[in-house]
Amino acid sequence: MKMEDMSLSGLDNTKLEALAHDVYSDLVEDACLGLCFEVHRAVKQGYFFLDETDQESMKDFEIVDQPGVDIFGQVYNQWKNKECVCPNCSRSIAASRFAPHLEKCLGMGRNSSRIANRRIASSNNTSKSESDQEDNDDINDNDWSYGSEKKAKKRKSEKNPNSPRRSKSLKHKNGELSSNINPDLYKYNYSSGISYETLGPEELRSILTTQCGVISEHTKKMCTRSMLPDSETMLENDGYDAPDGQLIMSRLQWDGSSDISPSDSASSKASINNSESKRPKKKNKPSTLTLTTTGGGGERDKGQERERVVGGGSGSSNAQNALGLSIRKKRPKLPIPPAPSIYDDLN
Amino acid sequence: INGKNSDVVCVMSPAGCSHVSGFKVDNWKQNLRLIYQCFVWSGSVETRKRKVTLNSMHQSPVPVLFFSHSAIDLLYGGIYCFVCQDYIYDKEMEQIAKEEQRKAWKLQEFSKTSGIGEKYSMWEPTKRELELLRHNPKRRKITANCTIGLRGLINLGNTCFMNCIVQALTHTPLLRDFFLSDRHKCEMQSNSCLVCEMSQLFQEFYSGHRSPHIPFRLLHLVWTHARHLAGYEQQDAHEFLIAALDVLHRHCKGDDNGKKANNPNHCSCIIDQIFTGGLQSDVTCQVCHGVSTTIDPFWDISLDLPGSSTPFWPLSPGSDGSVVNGDSHPSGATTLTDCLRRFTRPEHLGSSAKIKCSGCHSYQESTKQLTMKRLPIVACFHLKRFEHSAKLRRKITTYVSFPLELDMTPFMASSKESRMNGQYQQPVDSLNNDNKYSLFAVVNHQGTLESGHYTTFIRQHKDQWFKCDDAIITKASIKDVLDSEGYLLFYHKQFLEYE
Repeated sequence: MKMEDMSLSGLDNTKLEALAHDVYSDLVEDACLGLCFEVHRAVKQGYFFLDETDQESMKDFEIVDQPGVDIFGQVYNQWKNKECVCPNCSRSIAASRFAPHLEKCLGMGRNSSRIANRRIASSNNTSKSESDQEDNDDINDNDWSYGSEKKAKKRKSEKNPNSPRRSKSLKHKNGELSSNINPDLYKYNYSSGISYETLGPEELRSILTTQCGVISEHTKKMCTRSMLPDSETMLENDGYDAPDGQLIMSRLQWDGSSDISPSDSASSKASINNSESKRPKKKNKPSTLTLTTTGGGGERDKGQERERVVGGGSGSSNAQNALGLSIRKKRPKLPIPPAPSIYDDLN
Repeated sequence: INGKNSDVVCVMSPAGCSHVSGFKVDNWKQNLRLIYQCFVWSGSVETRKRKVTLNSMHQSPVPVLFFSHSAIDLLYGGIYCFVCQDYIYDKEMEQIAKEEQRKAWKLQEFSKTSGIGEKYSMWEPTKRELELLRHNPKRRKITANCTIGLRGLINLGNTCFMNCIVQALTHTPLLRDFFLSDRHKCEMQSNSCLVCEMSQLFQEFYSGHRSPHIPFRLLHLVWTHARHLAGYEQQDAHEFLIAALDVLHRHCKGDDNGKKANNPNHCSCIIDQIFTGGLQSDVTCQVCHGVSTTIDPFWDISLDLPGSSTPFWPLSPGSDGSVVNGDSHPSGATTLTDCLRRFTRPEHLGSSAKIKCSGCHSYQESTKQLTMKRLPIVACFHLKRFEHSAKLRRKITTYVSFPLELDMTPFMASSKESRMNGQYQQPVDSLNNDNKYSLFAVVNHQGTLESGHYTTFIRQHKDQWFKCDDAIITKASIKDVLDSEGYLLFYHKQFLEYE
């Protein structure tokens, strides 16, 4: 039967089915043969059995399902002494205290800018001791309230006065940077503690041309959202826009140009209950606090009201971390160069 | 193929043999190429026809081309040596075979249209690698009952909101595959690429280490790039998720200074490929019935719950809460499907919220409806358990039951017609798998608005679930997962199609 002469239309169902079956069998056989070749080649080249797991490893990584231990067979809560090195200041910090440390280290906390402002204000003064104390990042961070400058409760500093951090002055905003700090961090200005009354006209202009500048009624803080369009800007969908009387319109083709980023959380804005769709703001009521531990901010949060969802975790107990800040750690030694081995040629 | 019995011992180096040297004379490379092009890997229609004709004419089980001491199998291009009485693998010849195969592949129509430029080929160890692997027999292989891929995360001080999201992301199959196959090519100058850190995170999770990982670098990077999140306070996991996705999305473009990258709809980064869906909003004028449609991208769907100050029931406008179209107030628990139905229901905007209708040239009352235009591969549902209205701040603990498998078909824009006719229960098209999803991660919040704790259930190895509570990973049952309160629900598409 020549291939060119065959025509399917003249065949009845049985013949068609037989043909289909032939084609199918051929395909299956070819696939099986292909698999055989693959296996043959793998065996011949020597890599067929290469990925077999050794017994020892299999036991090592077996999941444990027993009460009181995790899947690795480890007892809970033995990780209290973990430490890490701060990418910003390169100091060794207890892991469970890293977040509060980083907040201050980056100058991002609610009160860090107040500290910074003070530093600026006092930088013209010659009082070194005052600025030293302000530099202490363990100061009890009282909430700052608009129009008054409450003195922070001074706390006994546990810091080594020769700590390298003392020499870092967190300079004020608008681009002046300490050489040790990554410029990227200061894209946004300090978030709080700015009173318009205390700013000069030049400062005001420079602030308001780069930032939103609205002072929140509740928090008394100035909004530092950048004036550049960014992903936080909420774009409201206000309904009809159809030009030329077109009744049906796709303003934003799916494959076209939507200005909205998914991070605007379109679905939560679009949801029916408008009162809930507002992005919850942090709310800090002014209050006096007494800090009972030297570890810093962990427990202070509990005394304050929060609007937003919170989830902190059990890691905030900080009594055991009090020592972490005052001990100077030696830098880790450089690793010893490895002895010559069969791995040398890989590098 | 029958070979003669022979006493000749074949020397293989490594899997080739010396007998083919008889073949390798004169212009053998070109000849071999021709053979492959004509008979084995044919790119053009003519050569394919010729191959089929040959195929139908052969006597032996597979078509073969014979030489003096060897033969070429024309189905797969394998070389058989009669002296060795076995197929052999000669390095030079295989190189030619690979090249011809690649050429033919590119000529095929589907290769051009689908964008699949190369035939997938598995990794093969080089001679050197073989030696190393033999020298080191210990293996870290992911099997069914294996801890590899699971790891605890140290809480850095109220950072469980971050840990829970990290667990969900590291157990998102497509994302995991992307990073484990090293697909991120960093274009950022500085050391502050979040995608690189994410990649590192996967390495940590698959390292086999048992002690929990300390995600301090991740926290530093996120706070650096998402300033609005910064600050040591208890935070919202949902907000962290959106911020993290945003930064990852920006960094995928290799943008150095974090300025808002292009249009999200044009982006083809892995984040957009996996997480971005399209939400359609239709506003219908009640007078002229003209419809204005917009489509916005989304990474998550935030769903209102019963128990908030806004009434949840009835789901349809105009009904009185009794049985209407099958969506009555049930005696049982609220389901995720109920929430989705409510989310996609037509809503009268009311007389106080008239919209300017361009058809009527005046302000008119209208209805608005949201539906899914395009579903993401990973759909994240956010149950709005935290109420922040003017007078009330509280957590809504209403139990919402959610399924292991979810069909999103009724909530698609394309399903609107049948829904308008009152058919909420659509016949499920079992052949259409596009909208079927499987649950793979659940983030839960325990505690109050002011102070609470996040944990995550994640799915590993198809049907094994684990609870991730900061540093502690334990096995969990499906029942544990489905009985949990649920705050963020992560579903993964079951079937992935090429576009």
